[in-house]
Amino acid sequence: MTASTIPIAPAVPAAPGRRLPRAGLLIPAALAVLLVLVALAAPLLAPDDPAAGSLRDRLLDPGSPGHPLGTDGQGRDVLSRLIWGARPSLTGGLVPVAVAAVLGSALGIAAGLGGRVTEQGLLRTLDVLYAFPGLLLAIAVATVLEAGVGATVFSLSVVLTPVVTRVAYTEVQRIRSAEYLEAARVSGAGRTAIAVRQVLPVIAPVVLAYASSLIGLAIVYAAGLSFLGLGVAPPAAEWGAMLDESRPALLTHPWVAVLPALTILAVSVLFTVLGEALRRRVGTGEDAR
Amino acid sequence: MRRFLARRLILAVPTLLGVTLVVFATVALVPGDPVSTFLGPGAPEEARHQLSERLGLDRPLPLRYATWLGHALGGDLGVSISGQRPVTDFLFPALGQTLILTGAAFVLVLTGGVVLGALGALRPRGLPGRLSGAFSTLAVSAPQYSVALVLIAVFAVELRWLPAGGTHDVFGGGGALDLLRHLVLPAVAAALVPLGLTARVFRAALGSVLAGDLADSLRARGLSRPAVLLHCAHNAAPALLTIAGLQLAYLLEGVVFVETLFAWPGVGRLLYDALAARDLPLVQGGVLVVAAAFVGINILVDAAHAWIDPRVRS
Repeated sequence: MTASTIPIAPAVPAAPGRRLPRAGLLIPAALAVLLVLVALAAPLLAPDDPAAGSLRDRLLDPGSPGHPLGTDGQGRDVLSRLIWGARPSLTGGLVPVAVAAVLGSALGIAAGLGGRVTEQGLLRTLDVLYAFPGLLLAIAVATVLEAGVGATVFSLSVVLTPVVTRVAYTEVQRIRSAEYLEAARVSGAGRTAIAVRQVLPVIAPVVLAYASSLIGLAIVYAAGLSFLGLGVAPPAAEWGAMLDESRPALLTHPWVAVLPALTILAVSVLFTVLGEALRRRVGTGEDAR
Repeated sequence: MRRFLARRLILAVPTLLGVTLVVFATVALVPGDPVSTFLGPGAPEEARHQLSERLGLDRPLPLRYATWLGHALGGDLGVSISGQRPVTDFLFPALGQTLILTGAAFVLVLTGGVVLGALGALRPRGLPGRLSGAFSTLAVSAPQYSVALVLIAVFAVELRWLPAGGTHDVFGGGGALDLLRHLVLPAVAAALVPLGLTARVFRAALGSVLAGDLADSLRARGLSRPAVLLHCAHNAAPALLTIAGLQLAYLLEGVVFVETLFAWPGVGRLLYDALAARDLPLVQGGVLVVAAAFVGINILVDAAHAWIDPRVRS
C-alpha cells in the first residue's frame, strides 16, 4: 500500500544543461517572507477592525470609499479580514508542516535504524494512515476536536507526518549500510548519537525541502477544514471561514467569495513554486508515493 | 498474476481493519454524550440508562468495536441522527451521484493530462511546453473550492452560460443534455488538481522515453515522427496509469468541496451536511465508504500496473 492523496507533484524536470536561476528560488522565498510579515503586522496594516461590521455598509463593491476590496455580508471590511485572516491561515499551514518535519524525521530514523519490530510496526501503521484520502483523515480527526486553529494544526499534523516519515525512512534506508555509519558503530557510538550526528544531517536537506513543498497543500487543507466548519470557526477572520460565510451571497455578490478564494489560490501557488525550487536545489525530484 | 493479486488482496485486509479502527475511534472518542444528544439534557435517569444499554454504550470499547465492525461488514452502518433513517439509505443514492461526477472529472483528467503532458514533452523549451508547465503548476496548486467559486462567479453569475448548481433545471429540466450542462463546471473544478499532476507525470515519463535509446533506434529505423511518438507513449503508459489511478482516488476527496458548492447531491455534499448537523453515524459511514473505495481503487491500479508491466509482479 503506497498510495496517498497528498498530491505532491514531481518537480517539472529542468531542461538539460540549464540550471535553475537563483531568482527562481529567491523571488518566491522573498514573497513568502513578506506574507509572514504581513500576517505579523496585521494590526498595523489592516485599515479596519476585521470583526466590526455595519449593517448600513453591507456588500459594498470593491473600490468603495474606505473599503478598497468592498465589504462582506455583515458589512465588515474584506481587505482587513484578508490581512487578519493570514494569521490563522498561515498558522494552519506552517505549524503542521513543522510538526510533521520534526516528528517525521524522528519516526523515519527510528524505523530505518531500529529493530525489525519497530520498523514493521511503524510501516504498517503508516499504511493505515496512508489508506485514507488526506482530507478525509483530517476530517475524521478534526471531528473529534473542538473547532479552532488547534484542531486544524493537530489533524493536519496527523495527515502530514506519515508522508514525511515515508520520505525520511526512504532516505535512511539509502544510507543505512554506508561505511561511515559502520565506522561510527564500530567506534562505539550509541544509536541515538548515530541518529543525531550521522544520519540526521544527511537526510535533513531532503526532508526539509520535501516538507516545504507540503506547505501549499497544508494551507489549502487548513482553509478547507474551516470551510467545513471544523477548523477556525466564524466570526473569526480566516480565509476558509470567509469562503463559507460568503455562500449566501454567492450568486448576487460573487466577489465576496472570489477574493478569499483567489488569496488562497495565490498563496498556494507561491508555496508550491517555493517548495519545488527548494527541492530542485537539494536535488530530489522523486516522489514519496 | 493471480498470485500477485491474491497477495495484494491479503495485504489490504489489515489496512482496511486499521481504517475501520480509526473511523470507529473518531466516534468513540468524540466529546459529548450521545445519550444526551438523543434524549435532550432533562431526560430521566431511567430512560438514559435504558438507551445507553440499548446502544451498547455501557459495554467496554473493544466489544463495542467488534459489534460495530460486525454490523458494518453486514452492510449496517447505523442510523442517521438527523435523518432518523439507516445511514445506507442516504449513502448509496449519494454514491451514485458522486460516481457520475467523478467519472466525468476523470475523463477530463485523462484527456487533459495526456494532451498537456505530451505538449510539454515534445516542446519542452518552446512556448507550448512553457505554457503547459505553467498551467500545470497553477492547476496543481489550485484548491477545488477556489476554482469552484471562481467558475461559478464567471460562468454562472457573470456570463450566465452554465448553471451554478444542482443536477437538473427545476423547470423543464431533465434528460442527458441537461445533466451534461450541470456537470461541466463541477467536473472542471474537481478535475483541475489531478489534471495538473497527471500532465506533469506524463510529461516527465514521456520526456525521458523520448530522450532515451528506444526513441533513437526508432528514429534510426526511419519511422515517422507520429509513429515514434506513439511507440514512446506506449512505453510511458504505466506511469500514466499509476498516476491517473491515484488521481481517481484524489477526486473522491475533492468532491466534498465541489459537491457542496455546486449543490451536487453526492457523498461529499452528504458529508458536509452531516458535519454541519454533527450527525456522527452519517459522517462515520461516509468516511468509511470513501476510504474503502480508496483502498479498492489502489488495488485496481496495482493490478492494472502489474498487467501492463510484468516486472512489477515479481
